[in-house]
Formats: sequence, C-alpha cells, structure tokens
Amino acid sequence: MVDIEDRVVPGRAIARLTAVAGDPDAYVREWKQRTGGRVIGAFPMNFPAEIAHAAGLLPVLIQENRETITVGRNLLTEFYCGYTRNIADQAAKGRLSIYDGFYNADHCIQLLGAVDVTREFEEDTPVYFGQLETSIGSTWAIDKVQRKMAAFRAEIAGFVGHDIHDDDLRASIELFNEQRRLLRRFYDERRSGNAYFSPAHLQVLVKSGMVMDRAEHIALLQEVLQLGLSAERQRGRIKVHLSGHFCHAPRTELLELIEECGAQVVDDDLFHGTRWIAADVPDADDPIEAMALWYLARNVAVPCPTRVQHDVDWDGYLLDVLDGSGAEGLIVLMAKFCEPHMLYYPELRKALDSKGIPHLLIETEHEGMPLESMRTRIEALLERIRRRQAVLV
Amino acid sequence: MSTAVASPMNRLGSTALAGAMTSAYWERIFTARERGAQVVWYNGSAVNVIFQAAGLEWCHGEAFSARLAAQHLEKPAQLAGEEYGYVGELCSYARTHLGCAVLTQQAREEENSGVVGMVDQRELASRLPAPDFFVNAYAGCSTGQQWDEISYRVFGKDVPIFNVSLPFLWGNKPDAGYLRGQEWEEATTYVSDQLHDLIRFVEQMTGRKFDFDRLREVMSYVKKASELRREAMAMCKAAPTPATYWDWIASIAPINFLPAGPELVAYFQAVRDEVAQRLADGVPGIANERYRLYFDGIMNWNKLGYLARKFAEYDVAVVCGRYTHNAFWQEPHLIDTDDPIRGMAQHYLLCPTNHGVRTLKYLTNRDCADYGVDGIVFHSTRTCRAFTNPQHLLAKSAQKELGIPSMFFEGDVADASFYKEEILESRLVAMLEGIDVRRARALA
Repeated sequence: MVDIEDRVVPGRAIARLTAVAGDPDAYVREWKQRTGGRVIGAFPMNFPAEIAHAAGLLPVLIQENRETITVGRNLLTEFYCGYTRNIADQAAKGRLSIYDGFYNADHCIQLLGAVDVTREFEEDTPVYFGQLETSIGSTWAIDKVQRKMAAFRAEIAGFVGHDIHDDDLRASIELFNEQRRLLRRFYDERRSGNAYFSPAHLQVLVKSGMVMDRAEHIALLQEVLQLGLSAERQRGRIKVHLSGHFCHAPRTELLELIEECGAQVVDDDLFHGTRWIAADVPDADDPIEAMALWYLARNVAVPCPTRVQHDVDWDGYLLDVLDGSGAEGLIVLMAKFCEPHMLYYPELRKALDSKGIPHLLIETEHEGMPLESMRTRIEALLERIRRRQAVLV
Repeated sequence: MSTAVASPMNRLGSTALAGAMTSAYWERIFTARERGAQVVWYNGSAVNVIFQAAGLEWCHGEAFSARLAAQHLEKPAQLAGEEYGYVGELCSYARTHLGCAVLTQQAREEENSGVVGMVDQRELASRLPAPDFFVNAYAGCSTGQQWDEISYRVFGKDVPIFNVSLPFLWGNKPDAGYLRGQEWEEATTYVSDQLHDLIRFVEQMTGRKFDFDRLREVMSYVKKASELRREAMAMCKAAPTPATYWDWIASIAPINFLPAGPELVAYFQAVRDEVAQRLADGVPGIANERYRLYFDGIMNWNKLGYLARKFAEYDVAVVCGRYTHNAFWQEPHLIDTDDPIRGMAQHYLLCPTNHGVRTLKYLTNRDCADYGVDGIVFHSTRTCRAFTNPQHLLAKSAQKELGIPSMFFEGDVADASFYKEEILESRLVAMLEGIDVRRARALA
C-alpha cells in the first residue's frame, strides 16, 4: 500500500509543513525577520483573517503548544479547557510577545479569560475583541455580523495606519479560498476512499495553513499534490469519523493510537480539519458583506454547538456525513471542560443511538493523556463494530 | 448537660420575609397550569419585568437550580441530567435545570401516554410546568445562550424561543470604562432595539398588545426597591457593619425575579429601615467584628447558612461582594420610569460577568476601598467559568493597588461534591493571621 508518507517523506514540502506545524513560533520569528512585516495573533474560531491579510499583515491562529502549564496555573483555574489554560501560560511566559496585535471574534467565556490574561501581560500590544453574533438564526444577524466585519476592517486599518481597499480584500479572499479548496481536495480524496492520509498528517497540512503565509502554504500544498494522491484503500480496518475539538488540535499521539488500534479515519469535523476549511467566502459585490456571509455559511457547512441556529443541527449533519463517508463508528474527542460540547453531547448521543451507530467519548486534556486506557476503550469500540459487522453479514 | 452557645451571627429580621415571598412565588409557578396561565422559561438577565407587564408567569432557570441546591433537593434533577448524558463538569446550574427539563419532558410524555407513578423524589424537580416559550437573555457567560438552546432541543424543538444577544463589554477603546464610552453607548442601543423585538415576540406569544403603561409601573417599583437596597448597602460601609453580605444574599430573589409591586418596595423599605436603626443603635451584623472581607464568586447555595456561620465564628464580617453589589438593578439612576427600555438594557449589560478584567478591577478595588475591606475571599466556583474567569487577576490587582490579601476556596453553585471544607478553614485562618500580623506591624 502507498500512502502520502511513503511518497513525500522526506520530501521538501511535507518537511517544511511539518516543521511549521511543530513550531509555529519559530515560523513567526523567521517570517518577521525575512519580511520585516508585522504579525497578529488571532484566537479561534472565526476571526476573519482575510481582512488582516489584505492589510499586509500575517494573521496567525495561535496554537496550543506542548509546554507543561506552570505560571498559567496561577492565572486560570484547572477547570478551564487545555487550550485556554495553555494560552494563559504562554502569555505569562512571554511566548506571545512575538505578536504585534491580538484579535478575537468569538464569545467563549473561557477564551475571554485567556485573552484577558494576554491583555494583562502584553499591555502595550492592542488586544481587540469584535464579538461576532452567536445567535445567527436571528433576523438581524446578517446586518450585525456585517457591521462587525466592518469594525474589524476599521480596527485593523487603524492598526496598520492605512485603509484596506476592496480590491486588496478581494484578492485576499481569493487566496484564502484557494487554500481552502486545495486542503479540501485531501479531505475529499480521503472521504471518497481514493487516497489514504493519516489524521496526523492531515493535521499538519491544516495546522501549518493556520500559521503560514498563505501563498507560501498554497505553493507547498500544490507541491504535495503534484506527487499524486492515489492509494489503495486500507483493508481490514474499521472506518471511523473523528468529531469535536472546536479550537485546538488533538494530540498526534492520540490520532496515531486510534489508527494503531485498527481504525482508519475517513472523515472528521475537527477545527483542525474539515470545520476550518468547509466554507469558502462567497462572491458578493461588497467584500465585507462576503465575509459576513462566509461566517454564517460556516455554521451551515459544519454546524457548531457554540452557535444558535434552530434549523441547523450538528447531530443531523453527523448522520448525513457518516452516510457519505461510510464510517462505521464515531469517536468524539471532547476537550475537557468545553461547555458547548458538554451541552450538546447528549443530543449527539441520542441521534447516533437512534441509528445504532457505535460511538465513543474521549475527553482530552493538555497534560496527562492516559493513552493505554484510551487504547482499551478504542479497541473495545472497534471490536463492537467488528462483531456488528459479523452479525450483519 | 449541654450549654447553648449564642450564634455570633445577627441576621436582619426583615429578610425573613424574603423566604416567604419566594416560596409563594414558586407555588404560583407550580400551579400556573391549573390556573391556565402561560409560562415562560428564561435565563440570565431580569427580563421578568417584561413578562410581568405582559401577564405571564416566569421561571428563571438559575433561580430554580439555586433553590433546589439551597434546599438540598438538587440531586434527582442532576441524576436525571447525568443519565441523559451531561458531563459532571458542566455548569451545575445548567445541569440541574436541564435535568429538570428532562424530568418535565418525561412527565409530559408519561402524562400523554397515560403512564403514571413517577417516584416521589423526582417530583419536586418535575413540578416545573413545561414552558409555553423560552426567552434567553444571558450576559457574560457564553454557556448561558447554549443552555437554553439545548433546553429547546430537549423539548423537541417545538417550543418557541427568543434570544436577546448581550455584547460582552470588553473595553476596546481608550474611552471605555464603567458606564461610559462608545462601546457602552452602542451596546445599550443594540440591546434596547432587541428588547423592543422581544416585546413584539411576547405579543405574538400572548396574542395581546403589550401594556407599556404596566411596564412603566413595574419599573417604578423596581427603581424604588433598588434605591432602598443601595441605600441600605451603603450604610454598611460603617464599622462594625449593621448587616452582612449574607443578608444581601437573602435579598437576591426579591430584587432579581420576584414580582415588582408595593410588596417589593415595602420589603426593601423594611430592610433599609432595620439597617438604619441598627446603625443608629450601634447593633452589628455579627457579634464581634474584627475583620471585614469582600466575597467574590457566585453563591455556594448548598452551603449558604454554613458559610455565613463559618465566617462569623472567626469574627469575620463579610461586608460586600461582586455578586450582591455589582448586580441586580444596581444602578437605579439609569432607570427612566417614563421610558424604561434603555435603562433596562443597560442593567442587562451590567451583569458582573459581562465586563473585561479592567472594569472588574475598578469595581472590586473601588468597593474594597469604600467598605474598608481587610481581604478578599474568592469562591473558586468549580463549574462557573464566568465568575472564576478574572479572579486571579483581581487578587493580584487588589494586592498591588490596595495591599490587601486574598484567599481562594473551592466549591460550586449547585453541586456540593466540589466543596472542600478543610481548604476553606485552613486558608481563612492563614489569611486572618496575616491580617493580624500586618496590623501589629502597623502599630509597632
């Protein structure tokens, strides 16, 4: 069997993407040195990075790092999610001083705690919060979101000291759409069974794309694609869907473990995955209106429990995509203490149970991942699916 | 033979009426169906004044969870929630209330299917009448909006719902601050517009034209009650304080969700008069006030009486707190009774979890200075991220700006399993000793 790893490692493109995903801070420093440009740190999930790009900035989605949380423990309590506690820790240790500004578009109370800690420690750096409407089924939502997108544009224009022209914004939108289209090709090929990629490798492609200069990232993705993607479908493995993790990347050890146990990940709705790339910015005369429509479209493309939209259901979406990918089971990766996920989980469970779809809930933390106990639970899920297959045959 | 030990607490006699008023209110909710009344479930801000003016019965989710916890009756609802799939780290208010929703929905289905015989212990939690519609108006905590969205789904998405979006007051601009700046004005206008939309929604739900005159009347009672409450609170800047934080906790239900009318004003008039009389007579809120503390955090409802006694036993007068003093119609001058919508919107934005840390530092340090506080107690509320969010930064700020120490203890709003008594005890003793040492040094 041939997979992407065999073809491109140690190929230049994948090595570069892997290096950036592994150490985003190093890339930021290198980019600043190389270009003399300014970098802004954005917090997940919905910051309109295209606007910052159009202003000539490098927008970087701030990633969880692998350091043990120490100073941050005295800033946010242990019952905050791993990502927010890690951000507080990074802020307190000065790791975020590489950024020239900070932008946040999402009202998550834990995230706001981490952003406030950032504001405390980076007191000379702008920390802007433009709250995008979360009740997006409301009649006034589009107008309100559009106003907020315009406010981001004005704020960032003030930051760089010049206007952001419509044509520049359109060009950035096209570039970001191209990046999403390219990334979706990998996911589409995986979903259709035409190619095999390990979830850890796909995470590298997405995570690096959240950090890098978009044109550079696109060139590297094209290089990878030129190597060809066809591969035999793996035999004897249980096809599963990975679900959850709205803000930060699941640990690669966990992703590798899932496959080691005999699963093949064929689809996901992870933030560092399908969720991030699912919706393009649509065409519109006014690029700000286009950005607003993109924000609203994201929740339709991959529903998120942090948004309120009554005619859009995450549970229904999952049942549909499971049908499409042929996944035989679902593994829920819940970042511990993530309240939107905790609130919605019973609805997912009900929907999956109603269709007899086996699933497993795994809570993840920044530190202390009990891999061996997780192995047992994953193996039990896969065994359950195998027995079910035998019965169905 | 045992000897009776006099309690060091001297609670206000006038607040006893709050319990009776609150019980009567809940009984009215429980019997709403029998009386043919429409019931709205809501969470977050005190939009109940709109419901009152519209002739509805209103059930505040957090208040019901707090009530169950204060009566140690929360477990059946929490177990129902757990069985349904809610993880134990989820906001215990939401978990308890969603458990009630599950039980209420089950009861409704059992009633429809003719199945009877629910176990007794479930009965209280399921006594809530099912909602005719939901209104969500949650400030600060992002979980609040999702909580009602999930309730809506638990009820099969066939109960109408209206969401009021309350922007978080982050403080982006140089002119931003408490009750001022462009952000404050814009947010006020945005929420005011939504309240008019909410009123139109209520009109659709009731089939009646909304009575704005009645709203003005209701808000005039709210304003008067709030003025009396604030006046009484301000008298507690005196040392020894004539009333304590625990007295203000006892008065939360009246100011937050009980019907606003002459009885509400009479209640706060009685509270105000008793505090004034105590001040005149030199009667303290605890027997031997030696320390004055500020309480930050949402209430630990399971341990309410216990905590009040615990602090008093150490001669601690807890004199004020974020939950009591920076919430619940706390700025009555903002209410224009002729045109109350804007002032209502502003109060909904003034939830003490809806500010960035910069504003919270200002409010906390201001109150600590005004009330002559010696230290701060932070209730690290396990499942309430909204309240715990700024606590460490507030502690550092108080130490740096005012030189006052603080301590943290673990607990929760409505889940007693998170409460750590020994930690509270040892940390409280340590902080009080530290205050003694500092005082001794100041005298040396």
